[in-house]
Amino acid sequence: MFFTVSLYTALVICGLGLAYKLWRWLTVNIGPESGQYGPGARLTAVLKGSLAAIFSRDILTLLKVFILDGLFQLRVRKNSTLAWLAHLAIFWGFILLVLMHALDDYTRDWLPGYEPTLDPYQFLRNLFGALVLAGAAIAAWRRFKIPLRRLTARPLDHVAVGLTALIILSGFGFEGLKIISYQDYDRMIQDYAPSQEPEDLLALRTLWAREYGVVFPADRELGGPEVLEKGRELDAMSCLECHSNTKSAFLSYGLGKLMAPAAVKLVDAGAVDWLWYIHFLATFAGLAMLPFSKFLHLFTTPLMLMAGAVSDRRAMHPAARAFMRALELDACMHCATCSLHCSVAVALHEVPNLTLLPSEKLKALACLSGGVRDEGMLRAMREGAYLCTSCYRCTKLCPAGIDLQDLWFAMKDDLAAKGLGETYSDVRDGAHAAAEPSRRQTQVSLQPQAQIGAGLSSEAKSFQNCFTCMTCTNACPVVMNYAKPKEVLDLLPHQIMHALAVGLREEAMGAGMVWNCLTCYRCQEACPQGVLVTEVLGELRNLASHSGFARKDRTCNTPCS
Amino acid sequence: MQYALFLGCKIPYFVPHYEMAARRVLAELDVKLVEPEFNCCGYPMRHLYFDSYLLANARNMAIAEAQGLDILTPCKCCFGSFMRVRHLLREFPALKEKVDAGLAKEGLSYTGKHAVKHLLTVLHADVGLEALAAKVRRPYEGLKVAPMYGCHAIRPSKMTKFDDPAAPSLIDELLRVTGADTVDWDGKLSCCGSPVRGWNEKLSLDMAGKLLRQARRGGADILCISCPYSQMQVEWASEVSNQADMAEFVGGSMLYPQILGLSMGFAPEELGLSYNMPDVSFILSFLKREPQRAAG
Repeated sequence: MFFTVSLYTALVICGLGLAYKLWRWLTVNIGPESGQYGPGARLTAVLKGSLAAIFSRDILTLLKVFILDGLFQLRVRKNSTLAWLAHLAIFWGFILLVLMHALDDYTRDWLPGYEPTLDPYQFLRNLFGALVLAGAAIAAWRRFKIPLRRLTARPLDHVAVGLTALIILSGFGFEGLKIISYQDYDRMIQDYAPSQEPEDLLALRTLWAREYGVVFPADRELGGPEVLEKGRELDAMSCLECHSNTKSAFLSYGLGKLMAPAAVKLVDAGAVDWLWYIHFLATFAGLAMLPFSKFLHLFTTPLMLMAGAVSDRRAMHPAARAFMRALELDACMHCATCSLHCSVAVALHEVPNLTLLPSEKLKALACLSGGVRDEGMLRAMREGAYLCTSCYRCTKLCPAGIDLQDLWFAMKDDLAAKGLGETYSDVRDGAHAAAEPSRRQTQVSLQPQAQIGAGLSSEAKSFQNCFTCMTCTNACPVVMNYAKPKEVLDLLPHQIMHALAVGLREEAMGAGMVWNCLTCYRCQEACPQGVLVTEVLGELRNLASHSGFARKDRTCNTPCS
Repeated sequence: MQYALFLGCKIPYFVPHYEMAARRVLAELDVKLVEPEFNCCGYPMRHLYFDSYLLANARNMAIAEAQGLDILTPCKCCFGSFMRVRHLLREFPALKEKVDAGLAKEGLSYTGKHAVKHLLTVLHADVGLEALAAKVRRPYEGLKVAPMYGCHAIRPSKMTKFDDPAAPSLIDELLRVTGADTVDWDGKLSCCGSPVRGWNEKLSLDMAGKLLRQARRGGADILCISCPYSQMQVEWASEVSNQADMAEFVGGSMLYPQILGLSMGFAPEELGLSYNMPDVSFILSFLKREPQRAAG
């Protein structure tokens, strides 16, 4: 009864969770144009696209991807053979356990001579469980070994791994304790013993104690080697038909041996039942958690890979694209492959902003789509997006086939729609505003010569050699592009050099010229005095970027997973 | 001849035609490419994150150095960044110290003993014009090309040493090998406008448009580009411009290895010609009809 109630509860939670996820894929908007496509339009577009692919030659590609990337997960192998082996072991171990063990009420018709206590099934159950454990151990080790992977793991990921281990270990514990349990032995004797003759019972008990590992209470008499032969005969007559030697359940048997000293106490305390409860409750908890944890990628990853193989995101119907983008937020399993290979991850040395990593950008995007509005987070995301060079590597490597590049483009548009410009523009505007007071003055008081140059390009002090001959300004294509350049640029290149010479650092830093520089180096190349004009402008931008006035808080204060 | 290929961040997604053509041509010329996993050259970080710019850039050179290889990059902005960082690390020990500390965390080190070369320099100097000429099978006849030298390869010349900053000739020479004529035009040394794209799109497009007009006025049939950023600018300009503007623009732009590749007899598909915007298939009509075997 308890078993049935908890099973159905788990199934209902799982079903509702899947329905909720589907609803989110149909309604979450990523990218400004996604808002135009409601659930109906998205569902129609996805079904149409899928059917069109299934009833065409694409079906062959779909099958190929399903087999190679779904069943054999070859895409994981591209990144690491070890990860691939671990992944295969967990996947196949678990799937086979589900089919042969968890669902044996339904699958036994296909399994010749099936009894859970008969070989090969008893042995295979142990083998599959061992595969899952080995795979999980490799996966946990890999995650622990690489700091970036530790960083990108979510709390729920740890729960999922822990639950997987609990399911398997409680299963082995349960079987192991049952093997050595004298109560279970007694129950079987009652039901199946060929005779109740004390001599026969002694022989059988002796065999099961000596060879099958059952541990009896001290007051039960056991025979010597001389009764074993008779025991074997009786065993063959009435037990072997549906109970193989317990040693073939190799892991459980070993675990039983470990528990043997405390066997009677454990059995008397009802530990067999407890392990049974833990085993099925952990399994049902996993089932209920499926839609909300990385377990979901069991379904999403093959779907994403198959969809990616027969469709082009850029040419896709916008309603289907909206669906795919929302789905991708759930398809990420935080494996950190993208972040480990990210072209700009090296910037983390200087920029304490995790959202420049693809995996964390995706997480932030999920927060954003979940309605979180944290100013610091938005600016952090904007900076992460600014640093991203759209190099496409994350998309090419993602084992789940997520089109990350498409998400980044959509995210930039979303942030822009919320009024967040490029980080560059933020810094520019901050510097421009800070220069305002001195810009309005007709007379400015001179300060001691500006101290710039330290720590940055180191050559910027060459502005001291400027005699304002205007060669730089005359060579500048930006100046040339405007009829009234001073209106846009505030100060022209030679004026910036001069402003620095008289110590007007803020005013120089806030000039439009600094922020519209093309870095074409025409000015620098032309300067007769050897002033590194372009480098000076570049240094001013970096100084502004590191000044408090221009650098707003870019840290995320909202925890979300 | 063997190099570590540094594609940079823009080519794989935005300018795949550049990669296809460069690989095809280099393979034909027996230039072997090794492909370690590099990171961004630092160029996009130079404005606001100077330390990251230095470290990112030096990290790539350290990776190539660890494998004993010179770097070959088809991107002029990556090339310029490499040359500028090499200069800074050579001249300023304080910067070098900071970078060394960052690299040491990964067991890397940078000494600068291995070179960084732009694709065109490899073709011009290492492969050599004669070897190129020997591979040209279908020279162009009557094609007039406007070579674009690009800011970050030729300037600051003190650091990049790519070519004479006032009167460069390297790309002209590479083009003439294919049988094409080069025109002397106003925009030869100009900026494509790419660096301010993202925060001053008007200025960015103005610059690109100016180039495309100057190339047409200079009498060119087509623009020759050797940097992904410039190619992206041209493609963007042709995407957003109206008919009237387009009529004033030069007929299109091609990456140098595409121009070279066609003259070597490769099919347009092998060189990614279908990716070029606007369509440049008219260039095929300038190729000599009969495939001829070049002397040597």
